Amino acid sequence: MKNHKLFSFLLTPILFFLLVPSASFSQDYYVYVAAESEDEVHLIHLDGKTNKAEIAKTIQVGRYPTETDGPHGINISPDGEYWFLSIAHGNPYGMLAKYKTGTDELVATTDLGMFPASMEISKSTGLLYVVNFNLHGDMVPSTVSVVDPDYMEVITDIKTGIMPHGSRITDDGTKQYHVSMMTDELYEINTAGLNVNRTLSLKKSAMKMDGMKDHSDHSEEHKENHEKHMKDGTHEEHSKKENEMKEDHSGHDMDGMKKNGMKMMHAKPEVKPTWADPHPTKPFVYVAGNGSDEIIEIDTEKWAVTRRFKSGKAPYNLEVSHDGKILVASYKGEGATGIFDLESGKEIAKIKNSRKVTHGVAISSDNRYAFLSVEGIGGEPGSVDIIDLKTNKRVAVVETGKQAGGIVFWKQVAQ
Amino acid sequence: MKKINFISRISGIAVLAVVLLAVNSKAQDKKIVFEKEMLSLKLNEETKISAKVVDAEGNTTQDSLVFFSRNRRSLIVTPDGNVKAIQSGKFSIIARTLTANREDRISATLAVDVAYPPVKSVTFLNAPENFYNTTTISLETKVVDEAGVTRDNVDVKLSSSNPDVASIDAFGNLKAHKKGSFTITAKAENKSATWKFKVSENPIASMDITHNYDGKTIRTGDVVAFEAIAKTNKGDAVEDAPIKYTYIAEPDDNLGQGASAQIAQSGKFVASDPGLFTIVATSGDKSTSTTVKAVPRNVQRPLTLVGKGIVSHTRTSDLWVWEGVDGRDYAVTGTWGGNGEAIFWDVTDPSKITPIDTVVVDARTVNDVKVSEDGKVAVITREGASDRKNGIIILDVTNPRDVKVHSEYTQDLTGGVHNTFIYDNHVYAVNNGRKYDIINIDDPKNPKTVGVFELDTPSHSIHDVWIQDGIAYSSNWSDGIVAVDIGSNASADLPGAGGSPENPVQLGSYAYPSGWNHAAFPFKSESTGDFYVIGGDEAFPYGLDTEGANRAAGWLHFVKFDDWDSPAEVARYQVPEAGTHNYWVEGDVLYVAMYNGGLRVVDISGELMGDLYDQGREIASFYPSDSEAYIPNATFTWGPQPYKGYIFLSDWNSGIWALKLGESTSQGTN
Repeated sequence: MKNHKLFSFLLTPILFFLLVPSASFSQDYYVYVAAESEDEVHLIHLDGKTNKAEIAKTIQVGRYPTETDGPHGINISPDGEYWFLSIAHGNPYGMLAKYKTGTDELVATTDLGMFPASMEISKSTGLLYVVNFNLHGDMVPSTVSVVDPDYMEVITDIKTGIMPHGSRITDDGTKQYHVSMMTDELYEINTAGLNVNRTLSLKKSAMKMDGMKDHSDHSEEHKENHEKHMKDGTHEEHSKKENEMKEDHSGHDMDGMKKNGMKMMHAKPEVKPTWADPHPTKPFVYVAGNGSDEIIEIDTEKWAVTRRFKSGKAPYNLEVSHDGKILVASYKGEGATGIFDLESGKEIAKIKNSRKVTHGVAISSDNRYAFLSVEGIGGEPGSVDIIDLKTNKRVAVVETGKQAGGIVFWKQVAQ
Repeated sequence: MKKINFISRISGIAVLAVVLLAVNSKAQDKKIVFEKEMLSLKLNEETKISAKVVDAEGNTTQDSLVFFSRNRRSLIVTPDGNVKAIQSGKFSIIARTLTANREDRISATLAVDVAYPPVKSVTFLNAPENFYNTTTISLETKVVDEAGVTRDNVDVKLSSSNPDVASIDAFGNLKAHKKGSFTITAKAENKSATWKFKVSENPIASMDITHNYDGKTIRTGDVVAFEAIAKTNKGDAVEDAPIKYTYIAEPDDNLGQGASAQIAQSGKFVASDPGLFTIVATSGDKSTSTTVKAVPRNVQRPLTLVGKGIVSHTRTSDLWVWEGVDGRDYAVTGTWGGNGEAIFWDVTDPSKITPIDTVVVDARTVNDVKVSEDGKVAVITREGASDRKNGIIILDVTNPRDVKVHSEYTQDLTGGVHNTFIYDNHVYAVNNGRKYDIINIDDPKNPKTVGVFELDTPSHSIHDVWIQDGIAYSSNWSDGIVAVDIGSNASADLPGAGGSPENPVQLGSYAYPSGWNHAAFPFKSESTGDFYVIGGDEAFPYGLDTEGANRAAGWLHFVKFDDWDSPAEVARYQVPEAGTHNYWVEGDVLYVAMYNGGLRVVDISGELMGDLYDQGREIASFYPSDSEAYIPNATFTWGPQPYKGYIFLSDWNSGIWALKLGESTSQGTN
């Protein structure tokens, strides 16, 4: 009987909140955005009642004061307790930094690979998967670093394609998707197995080329390499040196001189995919075709491209709304934001951004707002453009530090 | 609304508490059990570990586990439990469950002890041919383990079989007490070495001491070479007599003075403070001494401000001053974290530094600026380009009032170019923090990469490069100074190796423990002919506020290269309250930007030994700051360049400055 009363006591307020639509209360929205050429992270606050937004706080980041360290990717732990930031440049490797949300105090760091970029924590394994973009290095296979976010230790590096980017994980946490920008491929990682499940060519004419390496044996190849390096004691260095391997991978034409007189013969990428985001409920992954000006839909059950949506110029990041109805894409090539209806595959709105070089997308948990980071050029400040997804109109612009890039939605709270 | 929020908070807390209690109890019910409680491995040994998750009743659960190392560079651990020990020591492995919620997650630690390999040998390094009664020598031992590694962390126990004849202390000091035989045993673990020897009669009847400053004034900072000679009663030198040097200081100012001098066991001595110094040389029960007087170096000279060009809208980075093709004098300064500007100045009259043109490129930082020797071509670096291609911009500066862009060059330079050097129609572009590309600019409109130099060390990283006489001296953080022949010529102080821009060949290198090597500058001492490379640190242990005043750390390392294979760090210049950045040597005078310590002008004439800062070698200092500066009233000096009798410098906070070093006003040296 006592238990029953306690249950009723707890259930009443829960039911109250479930039954009363949250949207009926005005909300405060918070996003974190990284200013890559300022070595700052801003906490942006949007007042949902007035649509007025501002920088609530600025956090200095990076480790080398007179160099621009380049905070690039940012994400928040599933429980909202911590935010994680990839710092692109180091001596020479980048790093992952962990901060406490709210207080924004630095908790810990760990070294990653070359130019670590986008990341997410799996709701299934609790591990963090961050791609080592290696943006400025040789066109060689890179890795996805898997990090224990509690201990802030790298558990393993999973070998992947050239210039991997756009690390996003399914809602159930079992699969991580990212793209290999210079080989036009989508990669699927088994988050528990810590291996590449499969890869998919995103080219319109996805045919196997002579001399092209088949990635289906990727995990096996990695295993062999791993065993070799375990034997010769070079495992740690191997993980880092994978970036420096001179192997003919696939799909990239290297101009210019290379040491040892080697010339890499790669086909030029067509799609240049830069982002992948799985649908929250359906077996689809959406990819930004930065080089082909399209959004590509992949059916993960068929493991095939099912639709291609014509987009604005050079889509870079994208995010599917939490209800799975729309997709918001940043058009880096034209300083605009595209909004797609996923049912029809049509671009239902294109919103001009406040400046050129639109970068990242984050959608509020109630699907009401899209927050777009916009880099700007040179000394121009970056910005966060806020779009009301009810009206598809830009409602606020917040100026940030230079080259606003990585962006993540933190929370919304009733006023 | 407030009431609703209050209720929601209270109920929310209650729900959370219940959930957390449930979760915690669930997590606490389980634990990870390793197959072994502790893992002991040998170096390079591999093994496989396993663990399981058990519930409160001890039943194994189906939870998935993953393993990882807390010491990645010492102990390799794969997620499925393969372990390899690559360094000796005490480490730990974590096993944790793969779960979504942190509260559900459990982990456990397995201690790993990787034993050092057993000692393979211990040997004496410096056993003399003769050991004279009453003398003391320092015995050195070397311990090598079975992995072939020389070990300095093994306790070596030294003992004498006959302490009445010769005793030895824990530090290897062996002292002869009387004639006779003895055996010294050195024991490390279960290995030992013995040295059977005898104390012979001491032939030393007297000692003399001389030095190379006889009749000359000794100033603080002057390196005086003392030489003591032990002689027999016939006056013959005992060549192998062990001699130890020390000194007694009577500084002019003895009010709480610190160390006033230092002496090496080679007999080289340098005074930091003026005063009387008695140098004592001993060999057994004989000794000799001599007293010298060190006077103040008195090198101070006035340094006056001539002119300044204040940059108030952004931070200023590097500078270069040159004579234009029209015979006037010009300077270019870069900008940091701004709008990609390079600012050109007319500095013909340094008291009227005038901006004459600004080139704006797609970048946030133009960190470095360089101009060719003929004054026609400039190269500026780009970082933070919006298209991320970065690279360099090659400029036509024939008319610095109307600078034109020759070309943009980004091939293989997209990682950002931080520093460059122009030498013999080639640009050496340090890029991506990893390498320098060598770019031919015979036709500056069509630059062409002809070579690349990149170290192959693990985790290598590079910051800057400077070229002199066909040898490139790069600064490589933890890899230190690296000399590379890119076409060495007859003027080079040390021989080259037939390198060229197309075929750069490494000659030598020198690294130091801090890993702070940020700059390298070669110079040949005009006064001694010695060849040095100054390795410069950059360090910010106190953090850095990009919008306020700051404090740096680090010092200059004077590395003497007698040949490429045996560099020796012989001196330093360390300002305690500041840190080094860029610097320049001209005619035995060092000009160094010390960030918050401003500009320091330092006398580096003569042989160099010890801390030059302590020795009164500082000629002058200047702290640029301006109320109209980007960061007002705060000094953060970036780099100097002596030019036509003036010293130009760039300051991160304020812009470009011109100074004039005056003549000494002191009356002699004492």
